[in-house]
Amino acid sequence: MVRLIIFLIFSAWAIISAVGVITFTNPIYVILWLLSALIAIAGIFFTAGAELVGALQLLIYAVAIAVFYVFVLTAVPWEKAVKKSSHYRMEGVLSLPLVLLLYLEMAIVFFLGITASPEGKIRAFIEKFGNTEVVGSVLFTKYFFAFEVVSLVLLIGMIGAVLIGRKESQTYEDDTT
Amino acid sequence: MEGLVVLAAPLSAFLLIGLLGRYIGDKASGIITIVAGAISFLFSIVVSFKSLHSPVQIKLYEFLPLEGYTLTVGFYFDALSSITAAVVTFVATLIFVYSIGYMHNEFGKWVYKFYAYLSLFLFAMLLIVLSDNLLGIFFGWEGVGLASYLLIGYYHNQKKATNASLEAFVMNRIGDWLFIFGIIATFLIFKTLDIVEIFERVPTTESALIGLATLLLFGGAVGKSGQLPLHTWLPNAMAGPTPVSALLHAATMVAAGVYMVARLYPLFESAPQTLKVVAVIGGLTALFAALAATSHTDMKKIIAFSTMSQLGYMFLALGVGDMGGAMFHLTTHAFFKALLFLAAGSVITAFHHRLYDIYNFGGLKKYMPITYASFTVGALALAGIFPLSGFWSKDRLIGSYYEASFVWGLLGTVVAFLTAYYIFREGFVVFHGEERYKKFSEHEPQEMGAVMTVPMVVLGVMAVVAGFFEGWYMHAVGGEHKEIHLNIALTSVFVGVLGIALAYGVFVKRFLDPERTYEALKALHTTFKEQFFTEKLYHSILAAGYMSYSKVLYLVGERQFIDGIVNGTAYIVQSAGQGLRFLQAGKLNWYALGLAGGFALLAALLVFLIYGGGY
Amino acid sequence: MKTIPLEAFFIVSMILFGLGVLGLIARRNLITVLMSLELALNAVNVAFVGADYHLGLVEGQIFALFIIALAAAEAAVGLGIIIAIFRYRYVESTDEITDMRG
Repeated sequence: MVRLIIFLIFSAWAIISAVGVITFTNPIYVILWLLSALIAIAGIFFTAGAELVGALQLLIYAVAIAVFYVFVLTAVPWEKAVKKSSHYRMEGVLSLPLVLLLYLEMAIVFFLGITASPEGKIRAFIEKFGNTEVVGSVLFTKYFFAFEVVSLVLLIGMIGAVLIGRKESQTYEDDTT
Repeated sequence: MEGLVVLAAPLSAFLLIGLLGRYIGDKASGIITIVAGAISFLFSIVVSFKSLHSPVQIKLYEFLPLEGYTLTVGFYFDALSSITAAVVTFVATLIFVYSIGYMHNEFGKWVYKFYAYLSLFLFAMLLIVLSDNLLGIFFGWEGVGLASYLLIGYYHNQKKATNASLEAFVMNRIGDWLFIFGIIATFLIFKTLDIVEIFERVPTTESALIGLATLLLFGGAVGKSGQLPLHTWLPNAMAGPTPVSALLHAATMVAAGVYMVARLYPLFESAPQTLKVVAVIGGLTALFAALAATSHTDMKKIIAFSTMSQLGYMFLALGVGDMGGAMFHLTTHAFFKALLFLAAGSVITAFHHRLYDIYNFGGLKKYMPITYASFTVGALALAGIFPLSGFWSKDRLIGSYYEASFVWGLLGTVVAFLTAYYIFREGFVVFHGEERYKKFSEHEPQEMGAVMTVPMVVLGVMAVVAGFFEGWYMHAVGGEHKEIHLNIALTSVFVGVLGIALAYGVFVKRFLDPERTYEALKALHTTFKEQFFTEKLYHSILAAGYMSYSKVLYLVGERQFIDGIVNGTAYIVQSAGQGLRFLQAGKLNWYALGLAGGFALLAALLVFLIYGGGY
Repeated sequence: MKTIPLEAFFIVSMILFGLGVLGLIARRNLITVLMSLELALNAVNVAFVGADYHLGLVEGQIFALFIIALAAAEAAVGLGIIIAIFRYRYVESTDEITDMRG
């Protein structure tokens, strides 16, 4: 019961923060709301017993990625954004029926899908060894190939970000002159 | 774990040279290749002794978990695979040493690529030999094909070499195509690709598909080993550097086909009809290639046809049920064929890679004594003269043929005669007689340096003594030891001596004038030389026919039909685009809206299909 | 053990995802668009982890990990692009980048 109450608290927190993310004008406030939403979601993970994912959510998302956003905000003049209107009103209104349609579809899939789902056999292991260990062992055995591919994707993303974000070297300017 | 070093050494040499070759230089690259080959050889010896009586299977890594079966990367060391690995690495290392001398005058022209390819070649071959599953073998199979393509076309500024490499690639592709279908069929039958598991399941599996599967697998071997009808690439592959030819023909590429059939022999044994096909193709190729070899004059092509013929022998032996004998002949053949190639290469190097026709040499005996001795030892071994290694292995094979059927035995004897004749024809023309090369070059040829002669001498020693290990080898591999049939042994030695005598009589003593005989038998000679016109058939009818067919298709199908569709589509799209231009406002958010809308519609469709349509 | 109903996870996930999509469409500033995207990705994670919790599996958590990894890559590349755009154009708002107009 306590678990449910904690879950509800975190959920409400996450949803309020999400509303804040999409409504506030000033990018600095937006990033703070996003941070708050991420922390709340990490809390949801903890209540669901997924300690590893929750911890990584805090470490990677709430620290690394959020800090990264702040860095970028310092690089671009966000003050300009405050002066202009921060939202497109027409698109926002147009997207409402779309989002409702998505909700409807997700609801159908989720609530019809629940009845068709199998009961997992891993629960016994989770209770015995703890969630983190089981996730780790499955990740490094059954999904090892996928894990390697993801690491490759990260590497490529890093190289791509460096290439895109760096200042153009001298040779490029030589070509243009 | 020693087994992994066998594979890792050439692979790391390949990576090291391939990535850093430009900085470490050509000579260092060669030395790295040699060291890697030597390490690989030493460890394969260790592994051989360990796994001789108790096979070891190493599961290295689960590559791809699938429903019901997990693809793994693993290696299987038993007597057959580890001894073959030892032979392969031994011969390859000697050839690497030799290649330093052979390529010496090219150093500075990015020869490191050559050594990288050589290491890749060795690695791929070891992958074929040591893999414990068919997919691993296929990986090595393709790697060998790629490396041979790169090496045959190494002199890429010569049209001949690039054509030959392309031909080898295409011919191999036909074989590989059959091979992968064979693998798929095997998987369908046995639900596994692991060879150990396949062997376990063979006795309990009754399936009509086994015949088809083995036939397809054998198709792969035909392509890789240059048997009829996929043989034309093998003689043309001589366009590559001579160490490559030696490697290709002695230890690695062409041996892969024979080895694969021997490796999967329990599978083949359960399909007797396939074994008959194997025997027929092997026997025909043995005769065919021996006849072709009698008429060619290119120094290396004669030896190439000889390889084809000997591989035909091995396939015939596999077909009549003598797996141990075939593998033993493969081993001895690796020694003396590498020896012959290295000797030929040293003659070619002596003339600075300009002369290839045997009638342009002559009388080299006194200038190049070590090469002469090596060539003679190799030729004697090839001809099956007592007590060299060729005698023991070949004799066993011919004995097996006679046990199977008199026709095969007779064919074996005839081919033995032809073998002795053509190889000594080459030897006598090149090393005896008048010094015809004086028309082409001023200075006298010289013996090569130690870096080239030492590998030849070592291989020569092996070619002499390898035959005495027959009993040991058979015991290890599991074939039964056969006593020499005295009458067969005497017959084949007699026939071999007869062949040598004929060559001696014609080309040294000139009892028969070769020129006049040539005039008299011109039609026959041309038929043999053109390989019974198969090469012409492939090149001018199949390849050229395909070319003209493609041209017609290009003009009619491509120009009229496809271009019409493409241009029409372009026109329709253009006019539609003019109409829909207003949607492309260039605003990111509109695109996001469109994306989400499309996704929602798709999801709605999916939901409708799954939950509404009873799908 | 199962004190939280699975439906609760899914409802939270749905609401978060919808808000993310809404932000993605209605936001003007490029950086905030990316942030909305992160929100939508996180919503999917909630659904995965909730399903895991309910069914006693770990696959969902593994996929959540992959999603976090991919979100990191996406943020790196996306923000890199934003910086590059800003460096060359001095703009950071979506209505000023209309080169894709047909």
